[in-house]
Amino acid sequence: MRATVGVPAVGIGFRAAIDDWTRENLDRFEVLEITVDHCLATSRSLRASIFDLVGRIPLTAHGVGLSLGTDAPLDLAYLDDVAAVVERLRAPAYSEHLAFTRVPGRETAALLPLPKTEKVAESIIAKVRTVQSRVPVPFLLENITYVFEWPDSKMSDAEFLNLICDETGAGLLLDVENVYLNATNHRFDPYAFIDALRPGLVKEVHMAGGVTIKDESLAKPLLADSHSHPVPDAALDLLAYTLARQEPSVIILERDDRLEAGDEILDDVARIRARVVAARPRKTHDQALVGAAG
Amino acid sequence: MTKPLLERQVSLIAHLTSGAAIFSRGGDPAPGLEGIDPALLRVEAQFSYAKRMEKITAVLPKTFELLGSGKEALVRAFVESCPPATLSRLENARQFHRFLLSRWLHEEPDPPYMRDVAACEIACAEVDTDPEQYQADRANAEGAHRSAVRRSPNVVLLRCAYDVRSIFEAPLPNPPSLAGDGRVGAVPAKRDTPLVIAMPPGADGPQVLEVLPAIFDLLAALDDWTDAAPTSEGAEFAKLLANLAAHGLIEVRR
Repeated sequence: MRATVGVPAVGIGFRAAIDDWTRENLDRFEVLEITVDHCLATSRSLRASIFDLVGRIPLTAHGVGLSLGTDAPLDLAYLDDVAAVVERLRAPAYSEHLAFTRVPGRETAALLPLPKTEKVAESIIAKVRTVQSRVPVPFLLENITYVFEWPDSKMSDAEFLNLICDETGAGLLLDVENVYLNATNHRFDPYAFIDALRPGLVKEVHMAGGVTIKDESLAKPLLADSHSHPVPDAALDLLAYTLARQEPSVIILERDDRLEAGDEILDDVARIRARVVAARPRKTHDQALVGAAG
Repeated sequence: MTKPLLERQVSLIAHLTSGAAIFSRGGDPAPGLEGIDPALLRVEAQFSYAKRMEKITAVLPKTFELLGSGKEALVRAFVESCPPATLSRLENARQFHRFLLSRWLHEEPDPPYMRDVAACEIACAEVDTDPEQYQADRANAEGAHRSAVRRSPNVVLLRCAYDVRSIFEAPLPNPPSLAGDGRVGAVPAKRDTPLVIAMPPGADGPQVLEVLPAIFDLLAALDDWTDAAPTSEGAEFAKLLANLAAHGLIEVRR
């Protein structure tokens, strides 16, 4: 599908398991998001497959391996590898999570939250500047979903993000599904969260659908960000609300499970695109991608 | 006074990757994590555990099918003794493989050919990984003298006690899971089987090939660049080298 003038690019996160399906449906998307870690120390067939997409469709770069929030020095060699991949993908921006996944010697695949305090924000600000100095495209921070909160957190999610992004000039990859889940799980108003974000902050958006976990040990059912099911209407409503206030240039549907349900994926893309088209017209797609880079 | 952030992060990840957090249903607060609901931490721990095991079963699907009914206890013992050290799928699988090898020092695997199947699966993942290193090795070869040959860096040699090739031709349940019944394809014959795991040119993925013992020994000897000047065997040897090169098993510098 060719990009429509005046609306942001809509696409999906590239996943190896649906490589063939993605290529067969490439004209249904205006952009693909590449996980840079899938280009590092991975299967050479996967890497070749990813780089084969360069020039066929606009690509944007996303990371999961930086562990920005670990209270230890950043892995600069990893960042240099990321910079090389981003350049090879010709990606206009590079995004990572405002989270930590590891400590020295131990790694968990989970994106874990940070205590939302000014002191922690100061540490993150310094690290974001390091990232910006080594990866030569604009850096975007992504808000995560979190199951628990640190008891010493003093700031709201929006305050924490605004502070770090304002100090560094980093943009925001707004995961709308994560806002929806966090608001439900931790009982805050997701619309107030969107309202609290500085205008112009949101450069890219993630959408996804999860599951509800019911467990007798939990005080209430928990919404989990499993990237496995259709995007809920409530998250689409939140996307529409966001689009009325922010000008993201890229919207990515994330799907990591039940990937065989291709029709669901295409249907979600269509539902997202319908919300996008209904929002006010903005830049052309090409301008939008440049916007993400600037 | 609040402890330093890194100290608290260490406590958190140690807890989330522990068997206690993943498998037990206790409600005691984790040490150093007071003020955080233990039930929520257990959910987080189970997310993380599921992701890790997904990576390992993706590399070792046939091994997991062969583990049969004892796999739950085995996996629990693995989790409790081998915390995750990296996000890498291959490294997590290698860690599980090392754990299995240490167990098999004391008790024979059941079925006995599982040792060979696991080694082949790890080898398949290895030959399909690290192309940049492979490219670097090729670049280093620029300095090698003329008419030299060596084994391709992304070839793995395995001398197996069973002919497990039939296992690799059998269909797998999709997706592979922790809940397999322990049966994978035909039972392999017990015989010394020299196998080469390689990615022949044009192949979609790694292949498990049997070679003659003499070829296996030749490939094993070609660790480094070796003079391939004509010998008394002359044309026959050159033909053999050309054949090995065509299958991606050796590199030739002329």
